[in-house]
Amino acid sequence: MEGPKIYGYIYGFPITQTLVNMWIIFAIVFVLCYVLTKNMEKIPRKTQVIAEVMIDSMDNLVGQTMGKDKMGFAPYMLALIMFLAVANTSGLYGLRSPTADLNVTVGLALMTFFMTQGFGLKSKGIGGYLKSFLQPMPFLLPINIIGELANPVSLSFRLFGNMLGGLIIMSLLYSGLAGLIYLPLVIPIPFHFYFDIFAGLLQSFIFVMLSMVFVSMAMD
Amino acid sequence: MIDMTNVVDLVLEFLMQFDAKTLILAGSAIGAGLAMICGIGPGIGQGFAAGKGAEATGRNPKVMKDVISTMLLGAAVAETSGILALVVALILLFANPFVAMSASMWILSASAIACGLAMIAGIGPGIGQGFAAGKAAEGVGLRPELKGIVNRTMFLGQAVAQTTGIYALIIALILMYANPFVG
Repeated sequence: MEGPKIYGYIYGFPITQTLVNMWIIFAIVFVLCYVLTKNMEKIPRKTQVIAEVMIDSMDNLVGQTMGKDKMGFAPYMLALIMFLAVANTSGLYGLRSPTADLNVTVGLALMTFFMTQGFGLKSKGIGGYLKSFLQPMPFLLPINIIGELANPVSLSFRLFGNMLGGLIIMSLLYSGLAGLIYLPLVIPIPFHFYFDIFAGLLQSFIFVMLSMVFVSMAMD
Repeated sequence: MIDMTNVVDLVLEFLMQFDAKTLILAGSAIGAGLAMICGIGPGIGQGFAAGKGAEATGRNPKVMKDVISTMLLGAAVAETSGILALVVALILLFANPFVAMSASMWILSASAIACGLAMIAGIGPGIGQGFAAGKAAEGVGLRPELKGIVNRTMFLGQAVAQTTGIYALIIALILMYANPFVG
């Protein structure tokens, strides 16, 4: 089991497999968005219906989870879940999943972390924000700070651990089946179904849900 | 009365007659076995979920489909810690990173055992997530029209319950691939 390969360096900045795979995933998401929203009409055609269902269900989810006053987060959350859904299932089309690299998941979790702190500060004001660390009792301040810092850690490691576990099992399975003739075609199918489709989509949903819960809890 | 220091000396002497690789492999074997103790957790949890599902179906057979889908989804998430333990055990068995490391054999074989020990933490998330799955199945049995939000709440809670199991996996992976005691 090895980490992502390094293809080369640009000005000393390593171009890793993760980075290249993320470019591919960005391209896939861009093409998907372009195809789904091309030629929009009053009476929607098939592709437009898919886009409308995605946006509608995200609006519903944000409205129910964060509250109607925070609908502005829906586009960010939809973008996040689209990237994560494609990235987590990328084992299906033979890419090493970028979310099985801690750098990516920590980056995503830090985005949520700074959103949590920033929007908390914005909606409560400096006084209210600092006071929220003294709730419910002032002596709980250290615990509140640790709890706040533990959120991005658990958020990033949850996604990373689940994706890496799936990746390791799949690569061990393929190396165990190497050399056999027909079995490598059939046996991995249920494993792909569980580790890539079920676990991948579930973890992307959970990441986005937890981001929404953290941000809306910091704002209320 | 046996002198305890004597016993320790004897055991160490007995172990010292093997070469480094043998001891590391022996440690890995113990570690792989220990890791799978984690299976207790998902077992209990999924059993509870199945029981609650059966109870809900027995009370109102019309909701069977909804209850079964919630139960299976919840039980599949409760399986996660067992799978993570399996990952560590399989790495120790088939892709052992300790064999290639150059450090004291005691550190390496102790690290191999510790990988397995760390994964025992998975018992907790397994039981907890299974409990959540069972309660969700019960809730769906009572009010099948709320299946969507019940499932969502269940997944969210299960994800948080998974945290300590993920931490255990991180420690096991650090011991295997970024061992701070080596070099």
